Amino acid sequence: MIHAPMDSSASVVGTPPAYAVFLEDVTVDFDGFRALDIYRFGVFHNELRVVIGPNGAGKTTLCDVISGKTHPSGGRVFFKGMDITHRRDTDIAALGVGRKFQTPTIFPSLTVYENMDLALPGRRRVFQNIFRHESQEDTEKIYAILRRVRLLDVAHCLAGTLSHGQRQWLEISMLMAAGPELLLVDEPAAGLTDAQTALTAELLLELKGHHTIIVIEHDMEFVRRLNSRVTVLNEGQVLADGPMDQVQQDPKVIEAYLGR
Amino acid sequence: MPVAVSSDGAIPRPPLLDPRIKQLRIIAVIAVVILFYVLIPILNSTGAVSDLSINILGRYLCFAIVALGIDLVWGYAGLLSLCQAFFFCVGGYAIGMFLSLPQGGGQVQKAYNNIPQFFFFNNQSTLPDFWKPFASLPFTLAMGIFIPAVVAGIFGFFIFRSRVRGVYFAIITQALAWAAYLLFCRNELLLGGTDGLTNFYPPLQHSHAWILGLYFLTAVVLGLLYLALFKLTKSRFGRILIAIRDRELRLHFAGYKPYAFKVFAFVVGAVIAAIGGMLYVPQNGIITPGTMAVESSILMVVLVAVGGRGRLWGAIIGALVVRYAYSILSSDMPAMWSFFEGGLFIAVTLLFSNGLVGLWDELEENLRIRDSGLQLALSVIPLATVMAFVLCEALGLMPAALQHTIATPLTVMPEIPIKFILLAGILTSVAFARWLVRFIGRPRGSVIAAESRPAVEEAHA
Repeated sequence: MIHAPMDSSASVVGTPPAYAVFLEDVTVDFDGFRALDIYRFGVFHNELRVVIGPNGAGKTTLCDVISGKTHPSGGRVFFKGMDITHRRDTDIAALGVGRKFQTPTIFPSLTVYENMDLALPGRRRVFQNIFRHESQEDTEKIYAILRRVRLLDVAHCLAGTLSHGQRQWLEISMLMAAGPELLLVDEPAAGLTDAQTALTAELLLELKGHHTIIVIEHDMEFVRRLNSRVTVLNEGQVLADGPMDQVQQDPKVIEAYLGR
Repeated sequence: MPVAVSSDGAIPRPPLLDPRIKQLRIIAVIAVVILFYVLIPILNSTGAVSDLSINILGRYLCFAIVALGIDLVWGYAGLLSLCQAFFFCVGGYAIGMFLSLPQGGGQVQKAYNNIPQFFFFNNQSTLPDFWKPFASLPFTLAMGIFIPAVVAGIFGFFIFRSRVRGVYFAIITQALAWAAYLLFCRNELLLGGTDGLTNFYPPLQHSHAWILGLYFLTAVVLGLLYLALFKLTKSRFGRILIAIRDRELRLHFAGYKPYAFKVFAFVVGAVIAAIGGMLYVPQNGIITPGTMAVESSILMVVLVAVGGRGRLWGAIIGALVVRYAYSILSSDMPAMWSFFEGGLFIAVTLLFSNGLVGLWDELEENLRIRDSGLQLALSVIPLATVMAFVLCEALGLMPAALQHTIATPLTVMPEIPIKFILLAGILTSVAFARWLVRFIGRPRGSVIAAESRPAVEEAHA
């Protein structure tokens, strides 16, 4: 794994290949409100980066900009050195950016198994799907992941009948099945019990090293467990950057969290 | 990707069907197949069922074909298309052109240069060039499929690619239906204007062999289309359509282009509607722009709503039930149809929210849990009553005693046949009983929840 130097923002201009994702001067305005204003933000290949920040800090907007859900008002977004600033969401996904939404977003009228099937990579065209079914290999892969996340028993239940925690895991499992190069994971631990949170952290750590991951989270215990570099956002701007312990000591971060 | 696989726990298979339900389904399928492909043709040949009844049934099966397509587009992909009658008529006009020409058996006269008479009212004394190829049946059939496919493809591409959804899509399709209606009413189009195309080969609607033959052809095409769509919706394509209906946006972030799937479904729906139209016109004997009026498209959607969305056989049953209700009510009590149509909407949404399919699901569920004869009866009785009523009416086998009418004090409806009183009485009392049962609070889990209730979720690491 590539070692991530702590002071990344000062050293580079453009898109050095070491970065999986790189944002440059990115701003997002919603009716005059500046939701995001990032001078530079880069995540290395196969790095696990945690983004934290108080409510309304622009964490989800950051995900939206990278995944193409929102197009920035200014600046540029790079993925693997390619400018994806104005690409469509579908094209960005096809390039290898996967996403888990803040509220679990699954297909409630399909079974857990069928949800997983649609997440598997490849076969995105119409005629690859007409009268076609998943292969034996696909089936085994789906069951292996479902067993890992303890959803095997409900594999053939409609996803709409799952509990909140199960939905969170289903969506993470769908990301694991898709295996994109970059995973944007928005609040994977929200609404989970402690035991479930621990497993979620374990899963993310397992994926680290094979995928580039950006995790957005509120739960500090969870963030500590991930033991990774943390970027703190506040009012749309990068406030601090570094290991968890260092960031927590930062007076600016303390002020942002505890209020003015 | 490394995925730890523990050795414990067998791979779950999809839950097996309860043997009693399986038996019920097999019996139902065999009964339907025998009824439509064997019994009805035999009854017709022996004279027990009149040719007229077969002709009407054949025409209504054409609506069932259209309903299949609507179920794919609306029931699966969630696209409320209000222009299916237009596609139906494109197919209908294509075959109507063939049937109007002497090569297709059209009734032309020497005094009119052996071309359809209406041309002369448009000051046209020779056959226009675009009509000429329609003297060939294969060309006609090819065009009847090709034109709606191209129209739906182009139209769908631009709508879906610009991500027009939901009610906006429905309004645009309605506008298309209206525009097409106005266009076909024009005499300049040389398709007969508001009078449409008629004067076809008379035996099509009058000879026993033609009537039975066309009925049988329609029933076979319906069966084949059902099987094809069944396979299609069970394949990965069907799953993607359901995903589009559920959460289209999520599919974008999984790398799918939903518009491509929507365009394809829309084209398939249009082609199926056109096939229905091509089978309808020979049996109907005339095609006019009135058939593609905005209301007809809406009525076609109602067929699926009553049958139950997202289940193909529901569309077929719904089509037959609603079409027969329409024909019976509009002939026996013309003033009542619009009241009935409105009442049907209210009744379906309030009392039988999943349509006739929902009643069947309830029946299966009650059979599975086996704990209540009352519950079973409350789903069997309405289903069986409606089916029996429609079948008796369809085949002209309604007992004479029920055909008598009773005078009423209402001015809109001076007399009412006993059969309607009986039907309404049974359905109302069942609906009341169902409401009562629910009110008393018998646990009545919905089928989906009961069939696939997830195991209690807890996982201590």
